[in-house]
Amino acid sequence: MLFSTLSFWLFFAVVFATYAVLPHRWQNRMLLLASYVFYAGWDWRFLGLIWLSTIIDYLVALRMDRATGPARKRLLAVSICANLGMLCIFKYLGFFADSFSDLMAAIGLPADPLVLSIALPVGISFYTFQTMSYTIDVYRRQIAARTNFLDFALFVAFFPQLVAGPIERAANLLPEIEKPRILRSDAICRGAVLCLLGLVKKIVIADAIAPSVNAIYASPDPSGLDVILATWLFAIQIYCDFSGYTDIARGVAKMLGFGLMRNFAQPYFATDPQEFWRRWHISLSTWLKDYLYISLGGNRGGRLKTYRNLMATMVLGGLWHGAAWNFVLWGAYQGLLLSAHRALTGRRKGTSEGVAPSGWQFLRRVMAIALFFQVVCYGWLLFRAVSFEQIAYFTTLILSPATPGWATISMPSVPVAALLGMIFLFFWDAGTEWSGRVRFYLWFPAPIRGLGYAGMIYLLAFGATTAPASFIYFQF
Amino acid sequence: MSPLIRMPLMVLAALVALDLAAAGALSVFEEKGIGGSLVNYFEYGRSTPGKIAKWQAEPDLPGNLYKVAWRPGALKYSAESFAKEVEGPKPVIRAYGMSFTDRILSHAETERPSLAVDSMGGPGASPNYVFAQFLDDRENRRPGDVAIIGILASSVSGMGAMSNQTRVFEQPAPFTFPIFRPTGGHGLERLDPIIESLEAQNALAQDPDRARAWHAQLAEEDKLYSPFAYALPWLDRSPFMRLVRRSLATSDISRREVSVLGDPDMLEALRRIVASFAKIAREDGQIPIVILLQNRSGAPDLMAVLENILEEGDIPYLLTSDIVDPSNPSIFEGDGHFKPEVDARLATAFLDILDRENALDPLRADQDAAAR
Repeated sequence: MLFSTLSFWLFFAVVFATYAVLPHRWQNRMLLLASYVFYAGWDWRFLGLIWLSTIIDYLVALRMDRATGPARKRLLAVSICANLGMLCIFKYLGFFADSFSDLMAAIGLPADPLVLSIALPVGISFYTFQTMSYTIDVYRRQIAARTNFLDFALFVAFFPQLVAGPIERAANLLPEIEKPRILRSDAICRGAVLCLLGLVKKIVIADAIAPSVNAIYASPDPSGLDVILATWLFAIQIYCDFSGYTDIARGVAKMLGFGLMRNFAQPYFATDPQEFWRRWHISLSTWLKDYLYISLGGNRGGRLKTYRNLMATMVLGGLWHGAAWNFVLWGAYQGLLLSAHRALTGRRKGTSEGVAPSGWQFLRRVMAIALFFQVVCYGWLLFRAVSFEQIAYFTTLILSPATPGWATISMPSVPVAALLGMIFLFFWDAGTEWSGRVRFYLWFPAPIRGLGYAGMIYLLAFGATTAPASFIYFQF
Repeated sequence: MSPLIRMPLMVLAALVALDLAAAGALSVFEEKGIGGSLVNYFEYGRSTPGKIAKWQAEPDLPGNLYKVAWRPGALKYSAESFAKEVEGPKPVIRAYGMSFTDRILSHAETERPSLAVDSMGGPGASPNYVFAQFLDDRENRRPGDVAIIGILASSVSGMGAMSNQTRVFEQPAPFTFPIFRPTGGHGLERLDPIIESLEAQNALAQDPDRARAWHAQLAEEDKLYSPFAYALPWLDRSPFMRLVRRSLATSDISRREVSVLGDPDMLEALRRIVASFAKIAREDGQIPIVILLQNRSGAPDLMAVLENILEEGDIPYLLTSDIVDPSNPSIFEGDGHFKPEVDARLATAFLDILDRENALDPLRADQDAAAR
């Protein structure tokens, strides 16, 4: 049940109508049931994994709350082992088995490859990280263990963010589940605007440019310019695909009275790696910072240890995305960028969102944004490539502009609606960036906003001619 | 008034205003003949009955496919040409396919000027159209001729259709063709459409009962028939609703195509079409050659579907993906056809097959050499 399909919106209409007439306790029970139905729509066989993770972390946290001393540590280890164990079996076992047999073969000791065909449960990386954050927070005594099992189960399985985040923190989402919620018309309107924006990003832009990107990354013989254009487009595709999903998740949750965390803050307006990671997939980057980087020692052991911790965090963050070496390489690239930037400029706090430079400073920032975008895009090449050979080949192509035919374009053209969508998105993101307010559009009078929303709906219809594609981050 | 009522009303009013503005602008563009691709973008979303009616009313519209590829007309033309042909020792290449095959054969003719090619095809013709033409044109071939059928990967889903009007929503050429289904033995059952000719199509406007019967047959037998493409044609007045229809109809038809390609009966029918084609051609003393065109669509993998039949029957074939990789976008033109240089390579490979099969009169080699 993709957010970008009619079946999801029919499902949500039924959920919303039922939700609106139920009292709080029953609202939660109904949402839990709806969340399991939503997940079963993907693959009912993996519901057992969510239940297992839910039961283990619920019981572990309850016991941990009452325990003292080393027993707490042991209980935490049970939770982490159970969650990471599931993740390892379902996501990484096949990858490590293949890599081991490749390695043995490379050193002349051929091993019988262990053939594993384990299906990847959709959203497993998201909900295991979310439940782990709960037990770690209980262990750190930042929150109290919850006694209401159904509320906790809803925290794990809440359908808007179940399969691709944002990875919510217990301290944020659990109180929202526990407290009675009021359906407010302004929240419903804001939620609807977020959904509309997310649909434009996903349907009009991401799905429409995907065939052009796929054609070049599947091509045995693209030109250097093809690779550059396809990688730029992939940068836009992955942003629109993932942030579109997040916008819809946040919009749907907002209409139900929940406030999910912001996951993207105009990432391509970043001018350096530190700022980029404060703007891109914020729920994952803050998770990695709070539960991995700081646990490894953070920046407390001097410069070298800081760089080591940054590298380890980003490599594991890369591996979180998928069981493939190119994701590890992408993580290492991000770690190197962060370490190098930190070494050169020191630690940077916050982002420049809401800061409107003028004159020469504005020009300098635009140039920095354009330059750093190329750095980000090379990372996306590593991320999107299908093999190391392709990475090496495409890198060589990009760096050989003197080769005959370098500027030949064979990439299929991008639909007009997608181009219009990109222009619209640029102005939307620029408005948010310049104003520093995600709801900058509220500055406009209601009739103008109405016209704007109608324009977005028209654009959606204009662009909705491609077959719906799955969200990229579902595979993680 | 609550914002929950006020804002949706405002959006609705704005949407209506935008739609009226778009309708006005499009009609001005059409009148002045400007804004071609933008106008087309909206035209593509017109309902299938709406597009066919517009084509019928305006024969000079660019891209009008109303009159193309009707089978009886093509067969009549073929019979007339055949009657005029001077019978001689020279075999003729009788090709049944589509623009892809025509382009390859045209390059083959250029490379070897003594070749005589007689081709018959339809835009994006599906294998059932091609096979029906081959069957019904039997009288217009001679022993010693080379019979060719082209199978285009992206058109295989048309095996479940009776007309291009159900398969190609944006360009619904109304020409028709039968559906072939496997029978219990090794045979094929042929189900013909009740509308077979352009004249019959023209007469539908004056015969509502027959029009209803034809629509009912499509809805019943054609696996690509999408109600989204046909319902509520009066909504064509709204450009916005045309965009919505285009989205719903194209996704519904894509879903139906996937279902046809996953239907073992349809793929079995394709195998039997190829086997029957080779058998009939050989019975008639002709040399059968199958051109398998693996184009940009990717699916289905024609060789995976047909390999056994081709090998068991020792049927000569040209598989384009043996020569060019369909995952390489640089081999295609913007409209999805192979680039001319690719067609030329495929033509050379085709001529090699002809030589391997000793398909041409030995005298021809001398004539070709002289012509070069």
